[in-house]
Amino acid sequence: MFSLFRKSSGGLLAASGIDMSMPLDSAPYVVMDTELTGLDFRKDSIVSVGALRMTGTRIELGRSFYEVVRPSTELTSKSIVIHEITHSETEQKPGIEGIMESFLRFCEGAVIVGHFISLDLRFLAKEMKRIGYGSLKNPAVDTCVLHEWMSQNRGDLSSKYFNDAESKDLFALAKKFQVPVHGAHNALMDAYVTAQLFQRFINMLITLGVRTLRDLLRIGKP
Amino acid sequence: MAVIQEEIIEFLGKVPPFQFLDGAALKSIAQNVSMDYYPKGMVIMKQNEPASEHLRIIKKGGVKVFITSEDGDEVVIDYRGEGDTFGFLSLIGKDKVRANIVAVDDTICYLLDKDNAQKIMNSQPVFTEYFLKSHLTKYIDRTYSEMHNKSMMYGGSDRILFTSQVGDIAIRDVVSVKEDATIQEAALIMCQNKVSSLVIYDENDFPRGVVTDRDLREKVVAKNRSVADQVKNIMSLPLIRVDATDYCFEAVLKMIKYNIHHVLVVRDGVLKGVITNHDLMLLQGTSPLSFAKDIENQHTLEGLEPLATKLNKIIGLLLKEGAKASNITKIISELNDRLVKKVLEIAEKKFGAPPVSYCWVAYGSEGRKEQTFKTDQDNAIIYADPKTPEQEEAAKKYFAEFAVFVRDGLIKSGFPPCEANYMASNPQWCQPISVWKKYFLGWIQHPNPEALLRSVIFFDFRGLYGNLSLAGELREYLIRNLKDQNIFFARIASLILKNRPPLGFFRSFTVNKEGEHKDQLNLKLSGIGPLVDLIRLFALESGIHETSSMERLHAMKESHPIAIELGDEIEQAFEFINLLRIHHQLDQMERKVPLDNFINPTKLSNLEKKSLKESFQLILRIQDGIAEIYRAGMVGG
Repeated sequence: MFSLFRKSSGGLLAASGIDMSMPLDSAPYVVMDTELTGLDFRKDSIVSVGALRMTGTRIELGRSFYEVVRPSTELTSKSIVIHEITHSETEQKPGIEGIMESFLRFCEGAVIVGHFISLDLRFLAKEMKRIGYGSLKNPAVDTCVLHEWMSQNRGDLSSKYFNDAESKDLFALAKKFQVPVHGAHNALMDAYVTAQLFQRFINMLITLGVRTLRDLLRIGKP
Repeated sequence: MAVIQEEIIEFLGKVPPFQFLDGAALKSIAQNVSMDYYPKGMVIMKQNEPASEHLRIIKKGGVKVFITSEDGDEVVIDYRGEGDTFGFLSLIGKDKVRANIVAVDDTICYLLDKDNAQKIMNSQPVFTEYFLKSHLTKYIDRTYSEMHNKSMMYGGSDRILFTSQVGDIAIRDVVSVKEDATIQEAALIMCQNKVSSLVIYDENDFPRGVVTDRDLREKVVAKNRSVADQVKNIMSLPLIRVDATDYCFEAVLKMIKYNIHHVLVVRDGVLKGVITNHDLMLLQGTSPLSFAKDIENQHTLEGLEPLATKLNKIIGLLLKEGAKASNITKIISELNDRLVKKVLEIAEKKFGAPPVSYCWVAYGSEGRKEQTFKTDQDNAIIYADPKTPEQEEAAKKYFAEFAVFVRDGLIKSGFPPCEANYMASNPQWCQPISVWKKYFLGWIQHPNPEALLRSVIFFDFRGLYGNLSLAGELREYLIRNLKDQNIFFARIASLILKNRPPLGFFRSFTVNKEGEHKDQLNLKLSGIGPLVDLIRLFALESGIHETSSMERLHAMKESHPIAIELGDEIEQAFEFINLLRIHHQLDQMERKVPLDNFINPTKLSNLEKKSLKESFQLILRIQDGIAEIYRAGMVGG
């Protein structure tokens, strides 16, 4: 397992300027979540973005990002039921172009972390393209993929955490790893739950021999 | 972010020293903390490593603090759990970490960085003080004021106005008259009912106004109005009312605002009474002093009866006014003493002069002046040694009847009988002084379990009424005969060591696992009892006369080694546990459920929990010291 990581190729710095040899437990992360009008990539769009900064396992509660935006497509009644964001709440909000700059700045220099993050990233990329931004340079890892990897390489870790048959959604995992879940269901609170899950994963990954960001990205790519 | 921050603020608001900070300070902290997670077994801080950059507050889980000696031995200093902090010393010391800290459970911590911690320390002295001073001593005042605040709306000397509800004070019935009555008829009704105000109803039984003494003075006498005029012409309008659940100061405010002396009291929309400025003045007079006068004015058992219930109400008020536990128990004892004396006076009147002089003594908690609300009888009679067989016969007969009468009188006055029959009405505890001396000497010289049990109860005796020199003589005798009785003391010590405070390994409280009091612990048995027992042991060793635990401590402050070293801490622990207990019982009284000494420690605030733990630890520490001292004597004991 060790040799596998050591062999890894690529330069010292990723495209985003992040030092890939940084140890897992001191690297900068942005844990994020978005809420969407729906899951149809062509018809739907982002309603809110929530994100928290982490340094290693430490969640910086004072450094958070949360914005509700006026979606570029229609809010559907189905999505309103899920995230409880209504037309009247989004009417006065800026479109996503109004918050993109500050969001990208918030993410600067950090590895992006999320649960089923590819979905969020795909919508984000679509919006960025639409409003004329380039693509997101930050490397990203998916907590769901990390969990999958750990369940296959769990080594000494307790098997109670890794049962293939179980649901892999955020809240099922939160429950399993004893992450407290309460408060409203929004992009920031979900990012907070994801961050706490990732907190626990970092410690487990280290005991499994995952040392650096480079190692992490290898096993956790969305 | 709001939700996450609210969660932090809510948590810190219950954790010392953060709970002493105001809302703005907490908010600024919440905006600057981070959160970390340490799985069980993880080393969070290592001895001799560079100083920590954060103050950590345990949100969930627990850590072990230990140091490793040069030869590699591990010495555990402390276990810390939810609400505790660590890393402060190394944070302000700017040097190395002094101890190892390992998570003994999956642990979540809030982290406050050095700069922000420094900022709070600079602006909030209470914060620094908390960390720097020795623990128990500084908690006590804060815990005390914390409890106190629960029942207080505002500060200041008029506090009682802010803590009593109008409904508790306005006990007067509404006296009323129809609006077509004449002024003279109205005045007559006021005289007959000895009231200074009258509510005027219209024909539909709807209250329309009030007539007061002042109206009679200003609108009738001064204006030379005919008393045959209708009363409705002089009534004051409109009706100013307060709700029975309003605090008294609101009634005062309305009186000032409308320049009136009477306010109607409404409960659930129905007129229930009138409150006057006189009532409010009397409120200040609901003092132990006026109560003592009430007792003095009674001359029959029947007259004493209602006073007993009033006593508990006064204690409740005292507590709300912020009296300290030891003062409250002192006042309770003082008032109880007066009631007992009154019953004895009444008995003396009934039975005539006794054949020989006697002393009525109290012991147990009554002897120590440490009674709370619930007090049963613990009393005895010591009488002077009769000189002839006839006198002996007469004394026996007289005191037997006398004691039974007093017992029954006390039961009527609210003192339930002692279940173990430790009462003067039991012939065994109604004896001439020579027999009492024999009892005492026997218990000291043959300290079997029964003798020990009796000695700890009776040795707290105190003369309460009659020929007090008899009690004084017995006390001198006891002190003389306890000198160098090391076997007796060792037996007492081993008895004490059987009752260890309920503190578990992880500094958690050990509570009852089942039964009626599941998850609860007994404050009297597990906290006050051990302290009282320890202090009694020291007092008997020192040969002092005092019987109350606090007075004993003060008397020994310069003579007994343990009292010298730990006297202040013992006093504070005693105050604290007693205060908890009294508040608990007051709460039960207000909820009208039977009083007991059981509390559920998880229901305490973090500060209270901490203070209780510190108190228990202090007891354990002293008990260990005693075990050391008396080890030899306890062999085979």
